[in-house]
Amino acid sequence: MKKSSIFGLVVIAIAIAVIISVYSNSSTYGSFKDAQSTATELHVVGHLDKQKQLFYDATKDANYFSFYMKDNKGEECKVIFTGTKPQDFERSEQIVLTGAMKGHEFHASSILMKCPSKYTNDKVEITEFKAKQTSI
Amino acid sequence: MDTAFKGEHLLPGHLGQFFTILAFGSALLSAISYYFATTNKFDNSWKRLGRIGYYINTVSVVGIGACLYYIILNHLFEYYYAWEHSSRALPIHFIISSFWDGQEGSFWLWTFWQAVLGNVLIWRAKSWETSVMAVVALSQAILATMLIGVDIFGQRIGTSPFILLREAINLKESAPIFAANPALYHNYLTYIKDGNGMNPLLQNYWMVIHPPTLFLGFASMVVPFSYAIAGLWQKRYTEWIKPAIPYSLFAMMVLGTGIIMGAFWAYESLSFGGFWAWDPVENASIIPWLILVGAVHVMIVYKNTGHSYFTATALVLTSFVLVLYASFLTRSGILGDTSVHAFTDAGMFWHLVADVVIFLVLAVVLLVMRWKELPRTKKDEETYSREFWMFVGAVFLSLSCFHLVVVSSIPVWNAMFGTHMAPPTDPVKHYNIVQASFAVVVTLLTGFAQFLKYKKTAITKFLATTIVYLALAALIAAVIVYVTGVYKLQFVFILIMVGAIYSILANGKVLIDALKGKFKLAGSAVAHIGFGLIMVGALISAGTSKVISENNTGEQFSDDFVKAKNNPKENIILYKNTPVQMGKYLVTYVGDSIAPPNHYFKVDYKVMDSAGKVTQEFMLKPNAQANLKMGLISSPDTRHYLFSDLYTHVTYSNAITIGEGTPEAAHDEAEDDKNYDAPVAYEVTPGDTIRFREGYIVLDSIGKMDHIQDITLTDKDLAIGAKLRIVSHNKTYAAEPVYMIRSNNAFDFSRKVDDAGLKLRFTKVLPQKHKIEITLYQQPESARKWIVMRAIQFPDINFLWSGTIIMVIGILLSIFRRNKELKPE
Repeated sequence: MKKSSIFGLVVIAIAIAVIISVYSNSSTYGSFKDAQSTATELHVVGHLDKQKQLFYDATKDANYFSFYMKDNKGEECKVIFTGTKPQDFERSEQIVLTGAMKGHEFHASSILMKCPSKYTNDKVEITEFKAKQTSI
Repeated sequence: MDTAFKGEHLLPGHLGQFFTILAFGSALLSAISYYFATTNKFDNSWKRLGRIGYYINTVSVVGIGACLYYIILNHLFEYYYAWEHSSRALPIHFIISSFWDGQEGSFWLWTFWQAVLGNVLIWRAKSWETSVMAVVALSQAILATMLIGVDIFGQRIGTSPFILLREAINLKESAPIFAANPALYHNYLTYIKDGNGMNPLLQNYWMVIHPPTLFLGFASMVVPFSYAIAGLWQKRYTEWIKPAIPYSLFAMMVLGTGIIMGAFWAYESLSFGGFWAWDPVENASIIPWLILVGAVHVMIVYKNTGHSYFTATALVLTSFVLVLYASFLTRSGILGDTSVHAFTDAGMFWHLVADVVIFLVLAVVLLVMRWKELPRTKKDEETYSREFWMFVGAVFLSLSCFHLVVVSSIPVWNAMFGTHMAPPTDPVKHYNIVQASFAVVVTLLTGFAQFLKYKKTAITKFLATTIVYLALAALIAAVIVYVTGVYKLQFVFILIMVGAIYSILANGKVLIDALKGKFKLAGSAVAHIGFGLIMVGALISAGTSKVISENNTGEQFSDDFVKAKNNPKENIILYKNTPVQMGKYLVTYVGDSIAPPNHYFKVDYKVMDSAGKVTQEFMLKPNAQANLKMGLISSPDTRHYLFSDLYTHVTYSNAITIGEGTPEAAHDEAEDDKNYDAPVAYEVTPGDTIRFREGYIVLDSIGKMDHIQDITLTDKDLAIGAKLRIVSHNKTYAAEPVYMIRSNNAFDFSRKVDDAGLKLRFTKVLPQKHKIEITLYQQPESARKWIVMRAIQFPDINFLWSGTIIMVIGILLSIFRRNKELKPE
C-alpha cells in the first residue's frame, strides 16, 4: 500500500473520531422533567416567572442567586446560580440554562439570556453568565 | 404618500444610495469585462473596460463611506444607522468606529479593503491581471449586493446603511402621539434629539483598530483564492502558486493579528474572564485562518518540490469559502442562542447562503473540469523529507479546523437535519482538549521538520539531532511544567508544552544558522518561534489562572445548595474601607471616582511581609457605566507584571445608580435627606471635635466668605463658612458648609462628603454662646457601600502577546523573501 493511502486512512479515522467525540460531548435541550430523570448536565430553555421572587442579596451571600423559571413545556422550577445576579435579568424574555437538577432545585452553571433591545423591536441582545472561571 | 418631513437632510442619503447601486453596477461590469478580456486575449479594450469598471467601483465605495461618515459626523439622526450606532456625546474616535458598529458598516469595511487590494492587483499582477481580477470583481459585485437594500419582487436585497429612521422603525407605532397627530409626525425629527450611542463595552480603543484589521485579513483571502481559480481556469496550473504566496502570507499575518487583537480586547476590557472563550464568533475568525496556514505551507512544498499540488489548490479554495461560511454563521442569526455576540438575522439568511454557494460551486466545478489535467507526482514523497511532514502538518491544521467547523455549526446541523443537538455543556473544556491534541502534533512538526531537507535527508544524522533536541525540550518543559504548576492539568497539555518548547529550540537553531549567513530562512524560523511562544503563554495563563477572590462564606440557603459543593465560590463582597485578605493581597475597596459616564471603583491591593510592613501597593480601578439606556455595564481593570497579571472585575455594587451624573439623576433636597439617618445638631466653637460612627470632625475655623460658587454676593449679604476637617479611616477630607443671610432671611448650603457617608449643614449662629450649630447627616449603616468583585491571576500571559508580535515579524520577513523570489520572473 502506498504511504499516502495509509495516511489518508489515518486522516479519515481521525475525522471520524472528531465527529464521534463532538457527538458524544454534545448536550441536549430538555425540560425540567428531563432534568429530573438524568444526572448529566443539559440545556433548558424557558422564561423567567416574573410573579415570583428573584433573590439576590450580596450582603448575605455574594454567590447565591435564585429565581423561578418556566420551561417551554410550562413546568416551573426553582433555579439556583452560584454567582452574582446578571444585570437586567428582570427584563429577559428568554433564558437558556445549562446545568443539572439537584433535588428540587435546578443548579445552573451558566445562564444565557436574551433581552429585547431597549429601543428597537427588530433586535435582541444576548448575554451569557458563567458561574465559574472556565479552566482547561 | 411622499409627504415632506421637516428638518430631514435627504441629499447625503440619496447620494449614498446612488453610490451603492453604482458600486454594484461597476463591479459587475468590471467582472464581465475582465472575463471577456481573459477569453479574448488580443482585444485590449475589454481589459481597459474592466479596469474602468473597477476604478468606478473604488470611487463608489469611497463615496459610500464618505456619505455615511458625513451622516454620522453631523449627527443626522433621521438616518437609522446614525441613530442606532452613534450619539452626540461620543468622542470623535468612537464616532469613527461607530461606523463599523453595525452589520452594514462592517460589510463596507470588507468591500473597501477588497477595492484597495483590487487596485494593488491591477498595478502588480501583470499577466495575471485579467483572470484574477475577474474573480475579485465578482466577489466585489456580490459584496455590493449586501449593501444595496432595494426591493426586488417584494424581497429586500441587502441592507442599506442609508435607510431612514422612519422607514426602519414604525414611529407611529412606537410613539402613539405621532399616529394621533399628523402635524407632530411631520415634525418628528424635533423629538429625536440624540442617537442610541455605542454599547459602552465597545467604547474602547480596540474598537477603533480591531475591526479594520480583521476585515483586511478577511478581504485579503480573496487574492490567493482568485489566483487559484485563475490558475485552474487558464490552465496555468504550475504558475499561480508562486505569485500567490506573498498574498497568502499577508492574509495570514493580518488575519492572525486581527484574531489576537480580538483576544487581547476580550482580555483587557470585556468580562469574559480570559482571552479566549471559544465563542462561535471567535471560532468564525480562526476557522479560515487555520486552513490558510495549512495552505501556505503546502504552497511552499509545491514550489520547492512539485508535490501536493492538489492539496495546495484545495486548501486555498477552501480557505476563502470558509471566510464566507464564517460570515454566514455570524451574520445570519443561525447561531441564535449559542453565541453571545452574533448578529441577529437582518433578513439576509438566504443571501448569505447564496454567497457561500456561488463561490463553493465555482471552485468545485473548476476542480472537477480540470481534474484529469491537474499536475500529479507519480512518486510518493520520501518519508524522511521535509515536504512530506509539512504536508502532514497542513492536514492536521485542516483537521483542527474541521473540528471547529463541526462544533460551531451545531445549529446549522440542527437546521439541516431537524435535530435538537445542543453544544457541549462545558464547551471550553471540550474545545481545549480536542484542539490541544492537534496542537501537540502541529507544534512537534514545526520543530522536527526543520531538521529535514526537501527531497531526501540523511537518516542517521536527522534522527540523532531530532532526539537530542527532543530530550532537551522535554527537560526544559519538565522544569517549566513543574515551576508553573501545569503538571496539575491533563496530560495532553503537558505534551503541548514539550511540543512548543521543541519547536522554539529547533527554530532557534535555524535562526542562529540564518544569522550566520542563510538569512532568507530567518522568516519562517522567527514565525515558528512566535507560534511556540503563543502556545506556551496560552497554556500557562489559561491552565494555571487562579481565582484569588475565593469566597467560602455566605449563608447556606438550603441543604441541596450545601451538598452541591459550590465552594469555593468566585465572587466576594467588599465593604468600603474594610480590608479583606485574598491570597497574598490585602484588598480594600477605598472609594469611587466618577467621571461620567464612567464610575471607577477604587480597589487597593497591598502585599505585606511577615513583619506587617507594606512591601507593595497598587490601586486598580475597574469601572462600570450605569448607562441610562443600556443598564449597568462593567469592565475590568488589570495590573500587569512581567510574569503575571492581576485581573479585577466588579460584578455587582450598591455604590452606583443608573444614570448618575446625568441631569435626570439630580433630585431635590428633601428627597435627599431620606438617604440619611435622622440629623443631629451639634453646638461647637473652633477647635471642637464631633465624633461620628466612622471617624471624627474638627471645626478648624469660621470665616466670612467673599463669594460662594454660582451666587454673587452683594454688600448687604452676609455669608459665613465653617471650615471642617473630617477624618475617617485614616483619610482626611475638607468641607465648608455655608450660612448666609440675605435680606433678613437665613439660608444655608450643605456640603457632602460622600466617601465618609456624610452631609454637613451650618444651620445656626449662636452669638450669645459664641458657638455655631453644625447639623450632621450620617448615612445609615445599611447604606454602606459595597462591591462584589472577582479577581483572577493570569500567569505568564505576556508570552502570548509577545509571541504574537514575534510571529508577525517572522511572517513579514517571509513576505519580503517570497516577494524577492518573484523578481527575476
